[in-house]
This record gives sequence, structure tokens and C-alpha cells, in this order.
Amino acid sequence: MLTINSISKSFDKGKTYALENVSFNLKAGQVCAIVGESGSGKTTLVRLIAGLERPDHGSIAMNNKIIASLDKFVQPEKRKIGLVFQEYALFPHLTILENVLYGISKIRNKKKKAQEMLDLVGLSDMGKRYPHQLSGGQQQRVALARALAPEPSLLILDEPFSNLDTMLRTQLRNEVFEIIKKTEVTVLFVTHDTQDALSVADEILILQKGKVIQKDVAANLYVKPNTLYVASLFGSTVHINKNLQNAFRCPLKQDCCHAIRNEKIIVSPSSAEADCEYITAAQVIKKIQLGDSTQLVLKLESGEQLTVMTQDKNIADTIYVGFNSKDILEFEEE
Amino acid sequence: MQQGGNNNEAFSLKTRIKRLKRDVNKWSVFTLAIVFFLALPIIFIGVELFSGPGETWGHIVEYLLPDYIWNSLYLVFICSILVLIFGVSSAWFVSRYDFLFRKQMEWLLILPLAIPSYIVGYAYAGIFDYGGSLDLLFRKLGLEFIRIDIMNRAGLAFVLSISLFPYVYVSARAFFLNQANNLLEASKMLGVGERKTFFKLMLPLARPAIVAGLVLVLMEVLNDYGAAKYYGVNTFTTGIFRSWFSLEEPQTAVYLSALLICFIFALILFEKWQVRKIKFTSSKTNSTQIQRNKAKKPIQWMIFLVVFLPILLGFILPVAQLIYWAVITASTVFNMEFVMTSLQSFAIAIASAIITVLFALILIYFSKWSTLSTIKNISRIGVLGYAIPGAVIAIGIMIPTLALDKWLINMLGKFGIDTGLIINGTLLALLYAYAVRFLAVAYNPIDSTALKVDNSIPDSSKVLGVGNIRTFFKIDFPLIKTGVFSAVILVFIDVMKELPLTLILKPYHIDTLAVKAFEYASDEMVMEASIPSLFIIFTAMIPVIFLNKLLIKK
Amino acid sequence: MKKLLLAVATISLLVACGNDKKKSETSVTEETTKDQVVNVYTHRHYEPDQDIFKMFEEKTGIKVKVINASADELIQKMKMEGKQSPADVLITVDAGRLSRAKGEGLLQSINSDILEKTIPAHLQDVDNQWFGLTKRARIIAYAKDRVKPEDLSTYEDLVDEKWKGKILVRSSSNIYNQSLLASLIANNGEEAAQTWAEGIVANMARSPKGSDRDQVKAVVAGEGDLAIVNSYYIGKMLNSPDAEEVKTAQQIGLFFPNQSDRGTHINVSGAGVAKYAPNKENAIKFIEFLISQEAQQVFTEANYEYPVLESVEAVKDIKAWGDFKEDNLSLNKLGENNKKAVLIFDAAGWK
Repeated sequence: MLTINSISKSFDKGKTYALENVSFNLKAGQVCAIVGESGSGKTTLVRLIAGLERPDHGSIAMNNKIIASLDKFVQPEKRKIGLVFQEYALFPHLTILENVLYGISKIRNKKKKAQEMLDLVGLSDMGKRYPHQLSGGQQQRVALARALAPEPSLLILDEPFSNLDTMLRTQLRNEVFEIIKKTEVTVLFVTHDTQDALSVADEILILQKGKVIQKDVAANLYVKPNTLYVASLFGSTVHINKNLQNAFRCPLKQDCCHAIRNEKIIVSPSSAEADCEYITAAQVIKKIQLGDSTQLVLKLESGEQLTVMTQDKNIADTIYVGFNSKDILEFEEE
Repeated sequence: MQQGGNNNEAFSLKTRIKRLKRDVNKWSVFTLAIVFFLALPIIFIGVELFSGPGETWGHIVEYLLPDYIWNSLYLVFICSILVLIFGVSSAWFVSRYDFLFRKQMEWLLILPLAIPSYIVGYAYAGIFDYGGSLDLLFRKLGLEFIRIDIMNRAGLAFVLSISLFPYVYVSARAFFLNQANNLLEASKMLGVGERKTFFKLMLPLARPAIVAGLVLVLMEVLNDYGAAKYYGVNTFTTGIFRSWFSLEEPQTAVYLSALLICFIFALILFEKWQVRKIKFTSSKTNSTQIQRNKAKKPIQWMIFLVVFLPILLGFILPVAQLIYWAVITASTVFNMEFVMTSLQSFAIAIASAIITVLFALILIYFSKWSTLSTIKNISRIGVLGYAIPGAVIAIGIMIPTLALDKWLINMLGKFGIDTGLIINGTLLALLYAYAVRFLAVAYNPIDSTALKVDNSIPDSSKVLGVGNIRTFFKIDFPLIKTGVFSAVILVFIDVMKELPLTLILKPYHIDTLAVKAFEYASDEMVMEASIPSLFIIFTAMIPVIFLNKLLIKK
Repeated sequence: MKKLLLAVATISLLVACGNDKKKSETSVTEETTKDQVVNVYTHRHYEPDQDIFKMFEEKTGIKVKVINASADELIQKMKMEGKQSPADVLITVDAGRLSRAKGEGLLQSINSDILEKTIPAHLQDVDNQWFGLTKRARIIAYAKDRVKPEDLSTYEDLVDEKWKGKILVRSSSNIYNQSLLASLIANNGEEAAQTWAEGIVANMARSPKGSDRDQVKAVVAGEGDLAIVNSYYIGKMLNSPDAEEVKTAQQIGLFFPNQSDRGTHINVSGAGVAKYAPNKENAIKFIEFLISQEAQQVFTEANYEYPVLESVEAVKDIKAWGDFKEDNLSLNKLGENNKKAVLIFDAAGWK
């Protein structure tokens, strides 16, 4: 449905790239999340797809029609893409109903359609109000109603929840995606929050420094991350560097990067009890109670520091930590 | 390195050209056409530079240029200091303190803008003159009159400063009102005193706003002709008139203008540079209610005096002098013709204000829609007219319009149609000249309000399937309305006051109040000049007050 | 918001009216081109001139259309307009500009017995391209209490040591000063003129500024003892609506220099017919009218200028100053030497 083919975009005439050689596909009806830190090029990608920027290289096709390439460019108003901005971008001088009506002024029964959209997002009686009279969450839903009203074939949500506090965020995320599911629209969902992505996306695309690092279903990203960065995005991860290799006496392949997930590190009171291939003694420097589990800051025999989690409540001053080779994640050296 | 290959390719000449072909749209072409149209006078002056200076250039460099440079520098320096003192202090007190008549002061402080500086100059000469108002007052009080000679360089600097300081006042106040509240509260929380807060925090932060106002003032100072001539101070602008008219060498005048323009560009670059150094302006304005300090009564009175002084000097005194003269001369000056002149001035000013604002809107939005980033930069060329003296623009407009007229007359002559001059010497040329000269006046307030509208808002409209033009009328325009109206008002006032350009380009049977006032004054009938001057002031006052309302709303 | 809308409405209404007015104006121009008309470029922006123009309109039915600007600007404008210039008549307040316009080929010779006979020879152009309308003398105003008129003699004498710090005169950008120096160049040669200008600068009481009236006021205020001014400004001051100005003017004495040799420097306000005048006949009629008895009467009565028509008596105030000997230098010389004069002023440091 959406095909991005080796897109590049630079804002300084090629000195640095906001996006570099980005390619991926999106199937109809799918929810795809794009995850990346700020500055990773997420927003540029969104703007390119929406037609608010023009690619320096590569092409974008929608439903097998090129919408942007080196010699073709379809204006944003002709693309039939719905876009919800991070800051909602509601028209402040129009009422809620007028905002929703805005994109469907040419269709018949527009009033009815707009009201349906407001009903859908649960703001049936708010039509006569102005955006500044609404709460952040309500504005968000108006933006969604407005974007969905013209029945776009692709809906893009650009960091839609980042302006909200955590409590509201989870609730609203679930609400929004419930609404979206009713419309069966294809969704591109941009976020810097892995929780958001994991909870709603069929597929996740990881963007780092303008490049696609990995695109896969959520489970695979956890099990087989392509890089240390991806690994640490989906769970806290310890990089097994040279010093740690020495500390645990586990010689690993050179020219590769290795890591172990925090939850795979085994903590036990004695070396005998621990069931792992590599093990070393450690002193507990600091204990931090985090609800059910405890965070331990350890000093290994070799002098290295390491932070681990344990469910065990009774921790002696000296303990043993270790892990198994099957749990080691291996990446190409970056 | 496959990716490197891609990148090299992305910025190879071939792909660049391909992209250019893709990205050039009608807006780019329109923008370029409009910029060319507006820059035409400047281009013609530039072309004149290649024909070399006149014979007397050497003479001017030897005898006059040092004087021009020295006097202009002196004026720039002294006016900067005075304008900053008047403008910033009044802006600070008005926005941060509560005192007697504060609300009235707020708009009274803008009123000096309604008086052309040369008229303030005439009025002050009248006040300090032998047998002038001060002299009479002293005699009535039985005091010895110590005559202060105001008609010199220092006096000119004073006159220009007192009539131009509101530019700084307006921009500084806008900053203090809109941006400063959070910072001030933070500063208070840290236990920093009021004075230290002002000097250590507010002043450095307000600098870009203040300097932007100051640059406007300095351009006006350098463009002043009427007051400098009357006060006998030789500046670049009087030099341009002298070499053009007395020495009959337009080329030499063009060379002097080019030097002046360099001078002004140096100022503009300075402004850009200092703004770049601190880029902090948040686009979000503060919605929290401003808490004004309520000082003790004696301090309130002191603040009152500080704020009242520039109003007294910049408005009340000159206007009082003019009213006194007007009462003496009313019978000779005031007649039906005078009423017609007033109406004509008014109509011309409104028409040119609207045309100029339209040009500014077109320039701002077309270049935005053109997607080529270079177009935006090129579009700023259209704004340069403000840096160029009115008389020079008039030359620059006479050359092409006459050429076009001659061509038209030839063409139409072939069909046996005798038209005469179509553009030159008609309102068209005059309105064109005003648009060139005052585009920046309209451009800046519109541009700055347009910047406050987040890009995502018009972008959403486009994504929702609405094209550029409809988006402009339905979304952008309603959101930048205040900026547009401020622009209309500012251009209106400037056109009402404009002199040198109008003198040269105005058509038959059309008189403006400014021209009338200057004619009287240049014929040594300063007293008779008072009535047209007062009319300018009162027609400009109404929109000034209106403008103030807009600024406060913002 | 409502106020804004209201403002927009009024503004657009006004613009609409403005447009209507413009349209009606252009249509008026179209009509009047069929009617008789004379287009006048004039530097004289005096109220009484309006009355004279009206008198002419009533008498002849020819409409007078005026564009007011400084002569320099008008000359530049005519130069640029070339053949298309709508100007019929150019009026300036000095002969220098007229002969400059002649030099630029902007004027044409005309045959008019009336003009030829009425205007004294030295006050008109040899080729009949321009004619003087009124005279003004550049004279010395002195402080009665400090200066004995016996000590005054000539323009040349003003550079004498005894006037050090006593002389008041306006800026050299003023055409009257330029013409005075041009006459000195013509009479005494360039070098002498240069020495004279330097001498005056050395004797100045203050740096030049303000108008002729301001110089007179400065004399009374005691800033200097002598002021070089035009005669008709004194007439105007004596009849000023401002009582203070009248008092000031009464306190000074007037001296006409060079009475024992070539005579006092005079200048004229004059008129010429434009080279490409579309209404040449009307232009001639117009200039002829300006030197008629009735017009000349207005010039002297309302503007305190000396009439060129000998049969017209100067107004009372001017007559009181007595007759004087004029410098009969051909006024063409003023134009020829004008640029030289400006250059000498600059070199002498006369601001």
C-alpha cells in the first residue's frame, strides 16, 4: 500500500542527512510504528510521506502510484493522507465541528459525517466549542476525528501522545486505537516510546540517525535485535565489553558486539547454586527497592561495576552473578 | 559504500537539476516576478553605478564627504543613545509598573510617530527662536531669557530622537508584555532585586527586540531630509539632494546613495548578527496576567515624570507650538482647497497602504509556497526599499516608468492612439514608489505574526485536501489579521508623512498635506505650515491609537 | 473583533471612494484636454499666486494646472520626461535655474512684443527663452543699535576684518546665495569670488543654518550684527501674523550694497515656455498675463517683491526703503556660473 524506496533527505545540501536511504513497505490495514529518538528523522519521514517535504532522492509510492520521486510530486492536498500532528494543530479560530468539517467540505451530508466523527471520538456535544476550551486529551481526539473524516487510506500519527502525562497517555492510546480499529485504516504511528509501539503496532520500524535499523514484528525485535541500540530499546541490556568478558572469563568472538539482557543475569548467594556457564563473585554496593524487585549495584572481583535486578529479598553483602551463553546476544560490531 | 553512492548521486548536478525542475512551481515564478518588480528601481540605480560618478565626485570626496560621514555617524550615535533612553525606560515602566495615568501614557507614548520629524524640527526651532514661545514665556515671567540654540547638529539629534523613539518603545514594550513574565517570576523567586533583574536579565534578553526598533529609527535618521536641511546639518541625504539638484549630477547622487545604502546594510547586518547570537525567542506568548508593581506614591510620581517627559517633548510641546501658529494663520490657510488636499492625502495613504500590504502578503506567502529555499532568501530583496532614501527611489522609478511610457506611446502611436504619459506623473507611479519604499514597513509585522502561527496549522489544512490559496483565506489570514492591520496602519502613517518621494513623483492637481507643509516651510512660512502639519498629525493619530489597541490585544 | 470588521468596512469603503475619485479625476483630465489648458511647473508656492492664476482663468477661460516643486526637481523632471513632458510653462524663483533650463534645452524662444517691450533687457533672456516676472534684491540687514550704516559699503567689504564673527547667512545650498556668488564670479572673476567666500566663512557668527528670516531674528537676538537676506522676506516679516516677527523686523536696518559702483545684486523670479509645450499659445498668453498691471500688483502687494512692470508702484513697505541702483549684470551669467559657485562654496567650507 505504501512503498518507500531508498529515500534521502538533507537540509544542508548533503552535508548531513536527516534521512538516508530509507526503504520499507507498509501493507494495507497494518499498524506500523516508527520508533526513534528525537533527531532520528521520524518527523522528516512523516512529512515526506504527507508531502510537506520533498525527497532529495528515492521515491514514495502509494497504492502503486508514485507520489514523490525525483521528477514527480503530488501535492499534499491531493494525497488523501490523514495526519495528526504532535501539537494537534487544530484551527484555533474555528469551532470543533468546523474543524472536523474542514476537510470534507465537498462531500454530501458533510454535517452528518462530521457529527458521526465526533460521536466516534466521544465528543458529541462539544461541536460548538473552540479548541482552547478543550483539555489536551479532548483536543487530541478532535485532531483524530478531523484526520479521519475524509476517510484517508493512510493515517499518520506523529508523536500523538507525547504532550500528555503518563496516566492519560495509556488510557488515551487505547481509546485512540480502538477508534482507529473501527475504521480499518492503515496506520503509521510515530513515537519515541517503545511501550506505545509494543502495545498497538503489528510491525515496528526502528530509525536511528536517519537510517532504518530494523523492521520486524515486536517479538522478533526482542529476541533478535539487529543492534545493541535496538536491544536496549526493548528491555534494559548490559553490553559485555572486554572488561566484563575478562571479569566473567568468557572469551567471546572478536569483531562482534555482545550483550546480555538484564533479566537473564542470574543472581545467587553462592557459586554452587548458580546454574550458569560464566560466573563471578561480586560485592553489593547499593540496594534500591523498586516495588517487588530490588536493584543492585555490584562491584565485581575485577573491579567492574554492574547493575542487576533480583526478586530475592535477602541479599548478602557478597553474592555471585552469572549468565549462560545461549542468552548472549551477538551483533555485528558498529 | 552503496549509501555513499546514493548521497553523491543525491547532490550531483544532474539530480539537482532534476529536482529543480520538479520543485519550480508557479509560486516561485510569481515571487521572482514580484521581487523583480519591486527591485526594479534599485536595479536601475545599480546599473547607473556602472556609468561612473559625475565630474564633481572628486570635489565631493575632497570637501564634503568627511562632513557627511562624520555628521551621519554623530547622528547615528547620539540618536541611538537618546532613543534607547527614552524608548526602553518608558516601555519598562509602562509594562511593569502601575502608576497614575499609566493607561493613557501607554498610547500617548506612540503619538510622536504621528508627527513627521521635520515638522518637529520646525516646531522646536519656533520654540527656541528669538521672539519664539520660550522667549515670550520668559519675558512674561520677567526672567532673563537664556537662548538655547537648537539649530545645530546636537539639536537635530535631539529632534530626530524625540520624534522617532516610539519605534523602540513599541518593540521593547511588546517584548516586556509578551515574553518576559515567566522569566521575571523566575528572577523574583531567586530573590533578585528589581534593578538587577532589569539590567542583568531583561535588558540582554530584550536586546533583539530593542535593536530591531533601533535599526528602524536609524534608517529614518539617515533618510531624513527636511529637518537636516532646516538645521543646516550636512548628511548623506542632504548631500544626495545637493549633488543631484545643485550640482546637476544624478550619477554623483547615485554614488552617494550607494554609499549610504552600504552604511545602512552594515546596520542591518549588525542587527542580524546580534540576533543570531541569542536565539531564544519562544513563539508561545504568555497567557498569564501581568502583575504590575505598585510602588509608593512618591516613586509613582517619579515614574510618572520619567514616562511623561518623552511625551511632553515629543508630542505636547511641538503640537502646542503648531496650534499656536495655526491660530495665528488659520484665516489665510484654511479653505476648501485645503479640505480637498486633506481628503486626497487620506485617500492616497489608504490606497497605498492596502496595495503595499498586498505586496507584502504575496511576497511572504508565495515564497513560502514555492518550496525552493532560495526563493525565500531572494524574496527579502523586495524589502530593501526601506533602506533607500525616498529621493533615490524616485529617480529609480522615473527611469523605468518613463522608458515604458515612451515605448507604450510609440506602440500605441502606430495605431494612431495618442495617450501621453500613462504611468509617469500619475498616481500609478506614486503608488508604485510607495510600495517599493514602504514594503518593509508592511512586511515585518506580517512576517512576525505569521511566524507565530505554527507551520503545522496550514500544513494540516493542506493534508486535509485544501490548496494553498484557500488555506490562506480560511486559515492563515484569520490568524495573522492583527499583523495585517498593524501593517496597514503603519504604512498609512508613513505615507501620510512621506515627503521627498512625493515631491518628485506626485501627479498634477494632487497635493498631499506633507507636500503642502513642506512648501510653506521651504518658503519660510513655517507658521503657515502648521495647519497642514496639524492635519497630518490628527489623521495619523487616530490609526496610531487604533494600532496601540491591536498591539495590546496581541 | 467587531471593531476590526468595522474598520475593514470603512477602509474598503474609503478605498472605493478613493477609486471613484481617481476615475472622476482622470475623466476630468480627458475632458479638459479638449478645453483650453496651460500646465505650469512652478517653484513659486505662494498663496497670492493662486489668486493670479484664478484671475487668468476667469479672464481667458484657460484652465491653469499647477505642479509645485523646487525648480531643481522640476528641471530634472522635465529632462526625464523629454518630448512627453506635459509642461507648458516653467516658473522659478531665480534666473540661475531658468538659464540652466535653457542650457539643458528645456525652453524655447518665443516672440511676444508685449514681453519684449515691458521687461527691461537685463531681466530677460537674450534669446527670449525666459522672462523675469518680479525682482528681489539680496541686501544686508543690520542691527540698528550696533552697526552704523556708514560702515557698510559693498558685498566685497563684508570680508573685512572688522566684521569678524558678525555675519549671519544661510546655507550655500540656497539658490539666492549661489546666485550672489555667481554674480561675484561674473563681476570679479573666479579667484576673487573664492577669496570672498572664504572671507565670509571666516567672518561668520555661526555655522549657516535656517532661513533668511532666521538670520534676521539672529541679528536681533544679538548672535551677529549683519545678515545677508532677500528683500521680500523683510516685507513679509513686517506683515507677519506673528506680532513678535513684526517687532523683530522693525528693529533692523536695511542696506543696499554697492550703490557707488555696479549696484545691488538682484535676482528675478521668472518664467519660460517649455520646449515641448503642448499648449504653446496658452503658455505665451499666460506669461503675458503675469506681467500685466493686475498680476504685478498682486506680486508686490501680497508677496513684497519688486514688480518688473515699471508702471506698477511697489507696495508701501518696500517703497519706504527707497530706490536703489541695481546691478545690471545679465542674469544669464547667474546660470552659467551657478555650478562654479556651488563648487567654490564647498571648497570654502560654506556649509
